[in-house]
Amino acid sequence: MWAIVIKEFRQLKRDRRTLAMLVLMPVFLLILFGYAANLSVTKIPTVVVGPQAALVASHLQSPFDVVETDPTANRAQAESELRNGRAVVAVVTGSIPMPVLMDGTQLFSVQTAKGALARMVETEIARGAKASPVAPQVLFNPDLKTSWVMVPGLTGLILLFVGTLITSLGIVRERQAGTIEQLAVMPFRPWEVIFGKILPYLLLASIDLVVIVALGMMLFGVPFVGSIATFGVGALLFLLVALGMGVLISTVSQNQGQAIQLAIMFVVPQILLSGLIFPITSMARGVQWIAHVLPLMYFIQIGRGVMLKGTPITALWFPMGVLAAMAVVVLGLAVLRFRRDLAPSGTTPRLSSSAQEPAAP
Amino acid sequence: MRFGHLLAVDEVDLAVGAGEVVGLLGANGAGKTTLIKMLLGLLRPTGGEVRLFGEPPSMATRRRVGYVSQTLGLYDDLTVEENWAFTAATFGRVRPAIPESLEGSRDELVGVLPLGLQRRVAFAVAVSHLPELLVLDEPTSGVGVWSAERLWEQIRDSAESGAGVLVTTHNMEEAEQCDRLIVMAEGRVAAAGTIDDVVAGRRVVEVRCDDWRSAFGVLDAEGLVVQVRGDVLRVPGTARGIEDLMERQGLRAEVTTAPANLEEAFVDLVRGAT
Repeated sequence: MWAIVIKEFRQLKRDRRTLAMLVLMPVFLLILFGYAANLSVTKIPTVVVGPQAALVASHLQSPFDVVETDPTANRAQAESELRNGRAVVAVVTGSIPMPVLMDGTQLFSVQTAKGALARMVETEIARGAKASPVAPQVLFNPDLKTSWVMVPGLTGLILLFVGTLITSLGIVRERQAGTIEQLAVMPFRPWEVIFGKILPYLLLASIDLVVIVALGMMLFGVPFVGSIATFGVGALLFLLVALGMGVLISTVSQNQGQAIQLAIMFVVPQILLSGLIFPITSMARGVQWIAHVLPLMYFIQIGRGVMLKGTPITALWFPMGVLAAMAVVVLGLAVLRFRRDLAPSGTTPRLSSSAQEPAAP
Repeated sequence: MRFGHLLAVDEVDLAVGAGEVVGLLGANGAGKTTLIKMLLGLLRPTGGEVRLFGEPPSMATRRRVGYVSQTLGLYDDLTVEENWAFTAATFGRVRPAIPESLEGSRDELVGVLPLGLQRRVAFAVAVSHLPELLVLDEPTSGVGVWSAERLWEQIRDSAESGAGVLVTTHNMEEAEQCDRLIVMAEGRVAAAGTIDDVVAGRRVVEVRCDDWRSAFGVLDAEGLVVQVRGDVLRVPGTARGIEDLMERQGLRAEVTTAPANLEEAFVDLVRGAT
């Protein structure tokens, strides 16, 4: 038995990637998730509209973070601000009781806002001041159902997991089987090989997407109030990133084990850092930037926005644009990497002196 | 072509004519596979130029080449028919009929076929788009005599239909099937031409001795490559030198010379290059 133990240690010593995973990853994950796992909301983006907007805004205290006051705007415009994701709370002044609209897709923020609002009213009353009656109204998810918020995010997570993991094995499996050499001498351009490998999975993942969303709607009663086309565009971009990442991982891995390791390292942090569970605004600043480079965060914005709030595509240009840019970068890198590894000649090989005779038949 | 400090292929001129089977003969590490990978565009030369059909390897030249690698390049989890269809679709031809000899295995997964049959499938797939140049890396490696014969029949048929065939091998029997040989050693061409050209009149010493085991031990101890043919020992060197050696060791032996075979010439060429 000791012989096996010693052999394992020797092999492990040479497998630096696994060694790094064993030693560094736990420390890294503990620090990362320790700072990310925070349910307390300290800042809630708030807009105040209506004739007394400036006055009411001046009375709002933390955690309400007034990002806009507009005395000329009305309730419809306030709702639009919530729908488009620019604010989580909107106070509409000018009527009694004063409506305080809340974005029900932001569970923790709404719960915090409700508590803070109640405390503010109590404080006013305790001070003997005449408290204005307020009417909190939760929009898009009135009962604050967790499943409504989770299903769009989980859809993305499942697609990310399946898409990245499956495609990450694609090229590395060909490399191990020796068929990659055959592909490289066939009349394919590198991008044709990459896209040829991605397209079947894109189709299957799209079917997966429809099934998951339909099941979410049937089992959990999640609404779909927005445009299917907008959701489709967002999902397509997200899938291209997920599948492209898988292929990129495949091109940099020497074997299937390495590919799976890298795919898991790519997917797992997104569970906690993408805003799926913990609000991004509650995370430590040093961790927040990581969320902004994760594709799942942008898909969650699109999924929740379209399905629950009916957010129009014009208000989703930023997450859509980021996903499109990520898709271009990831797929571009995969093609470049594939070209470098397997088709170094291309059409214009580096030539220099010492010509050889042609090997023509 | 260099890999770090190792010069893998240097100053190799290679021509394969239509209908010709050219053998690239060399020991492991001689540079054969590196050379064909450069020809196929899989490796970029670190210096010099590679030209195939008179131009650098490109998408256009790939359409004119058929290649069977040592690993065969077949998909184990696809059937013979599906592998065949993939190649046909890749080269954009109307799908040619699958060879009659493979009809019986048409719907079998390639992964479950015996190696000899897998090699025949790989060969058939490689020639299905009627390439002008066929590159075969160790085509009969690991297969039985019967399968090897069948494969060589197919190789010959392809050459007769006009394809140039380049075969890499370190197997002498395979090399003897070729019309012409290029012997590589240490990344360079050590000899080229027909078998007679490669042997180039080399002779070996034949030793006949009653106590042939002792004679073998003496010759082997001298670092000579000894071939045993029945009770005859064949070694490189001069008859005079071997006679002296036998006498010094007190062995009575009849020492004559004979024409070297391809293997002996090959060993001599490789030793000369190192």
